Amino acid sequence: MEKIIEVKNVTFEYDDSEQVKTVIKDFNLDIERGSFTVILGHNGSGKSTLAKLLNGLYKPASGKVLVDGIDTADESTEIEVKRRVGMVFQNPDNQLIASIVEEDVAFGPENLGLEPDVIRQRVDDALKAVGMYEFRRSTPHHLSGGQKQRIAIAGIIAMEPECIVLDEPTAMLDPKGRAEIIDTILKLNREKNITVVLITHFMEEAELADRILVMSNGKILADSTPKTVFSDVSLLKSVGLDVPQTTELLYALKSGGADIETDVLSIEETADAIAKAFHLEEI
Amino acid sequence: MTPILEVKNLTYTYGGNSPFVNDAVSNVSFSVKSGEIIGIIGHTGSGKSTLVQQLNGLLKPTDGSVLFEGKDIWENPKEIRKIRSQIGLVFQYPEYQLFEDTVFADIAFGPKNMGLSGEELEKRVYEICELIGIKEEYLEKSPFDLSGGEKRRVAIAGVMAMRPQVIIFDEPIAGLDPKGRSDVLKMIKDYLTAYNATVIIISHNMEDMALIADRLIVMNDGKLVAFDDTDKVFLNPQMLRSIGLNVPIVTRVFEQLKAKGYNVPNNIFTVQSAVEYLMKLKREGEHRD
Repeated sequence: MEKIIEVKNVTFEYDDSEQVKTVIKDFNLDIERGSFTVILGHNGSGKSTLAKLLNGLYKPASGKVLVDGIDTADESTEIEVKRRVGMVFQNPDNQLIASIVEEDVAFGPENLGLEPDVIRQRVDDALKAVGMYEFRRSTPHHLSGGQKQRIAIAGIIAMEPECIVLDEPTAMLDPKGRAEIIDTILKLNREKNITVVLITHFMEEAELADRILVMSNGKILADSTPKTVFSDVSLLKSVGLDVPQTTELLYALKSGGADIETDVLSIEETADAIAKAFHLEEI
Repeated sequence: MTPILEVKNLTYTYGGNSPFVNDAVSNVSFSVKSGEIIGIIGHTGSGKSTLVQQLNGLLKPTDGSVLFEGKDIWENPKEIRKIRSQIGLVFQYPEYQLFEDTVFADIAFGPKNMGLSGEELEKRVYEICELIGIKEEYLEKSPFDLSGGEKRRVAIAGVMAMRPQVIIFDEPIAGLDPKGRSDVLKMIKDYLTAYNATVIIISHNMEDMALIADRLIVMNDGKLVAFDDTDKVFLNPQMLRSIGLNVPIVTRVFEQLKAKGYNVPNNIFTVQSAVEYLMKLKREGEHRD
């Protein structure tokens, strides 16, 4: 598989007035083109720092981050990196700048110096991709949180990136807004083959990924499929993380003495596992 | 017994006298017993925040009334500040409102405004920190040096230090990691137990609501569409889904079992109750064999 991002022996430090704080040390990671990776970790685990290293917002103190083979530390190719890897943050209100939706989405492509008719096309396509085309002439602050966040994503898509990095994009949204964002992310990944790196605290969202990375103290503690990662309940709990409620239920049943499959995640699979392990009365 | 809080026909209208007039809260009535935990659920824009901001007099209702221990909180408008220390409100993302130089000063801000000073004030701050586990060495730190979860706890401690009888939380666990979420839920329970307080909590997390709320208020379009025991509200998934909400995940697993043709109960709302039900079934099965 082809790599879109390579993180090679990266160390990153914060210069906190009195002391230098190392957040990430000798860190290595490859992200494959077209994949959907979720990063889990408690607050302060270094996951947001890693996210900002992936598109050159932070530069490594030592080591290299390569995006499509381009070194993020090279200032002459900075725009090439930013164009390939877009970022979406937690608070939608801090990411929208224009007073009309379509102007906001056009901001990125305008900065790329594209022709007006190309910009028009990209903005329309991006708004359609996130299901917000009918709101193109609206004012962002009249939209819901989920809608605003979709506009922020459209602004990234209009740059035609290879990869989108989202840092807790659903943390401030209600369940409906969360579902809108997750549906949008899945669609971009599956239909447009855009590589997705998603940081989240919601285990139901993590279930949907191809791969989960668990971070703690700037290191990768686990790197595998959702089923494998969530099967290590004690590891996750030891770093202050949770498992989906389905996993919690299956493990509780198993530790209570039931002979039950525990490596399933979805609601449907969990129901099947219970039906198999217990003599339920049929209606 | 008089309810500690009684809300009667509460209506709040934004943009009165303008073409954009909009009822954010419309004719809402309910009453809360002392010592209860009441959950409020509803999607964004359903009026939850506007509702709770009227409960402690931060917003004045356009119509209707809020009674605290049987007395209208607006009976004497000059006393409304006192009401705000008896009915505490913790906003969404309260850590954005920390502003003092030290954690101590931030927690002391509320009780100081109530007129406490000197030893009495110090005692208040130390007591609440001990109860909810903020270590003494933190008190001289700048709140801005703390992690997100710690800042949230300090901000909540600032409201708790006023020792309100009713404490309202607007999405207290939003944006926290799982450890931060359980820390905050634990401090809410500890406060409730220590001071026999009443808690009103807005949340989007149905699994947590199933664990902690005695009763649930369901809001949609500014109206109260249900107010009942938590179990009874979760017995009506169709209604919840029709307004963009849902039941806990474990409940959905049991719905799925029923759809597959098994005779399982529909009142399983927590992992614990699911485990108890299934393990009992297993023991009975073994007994028969």
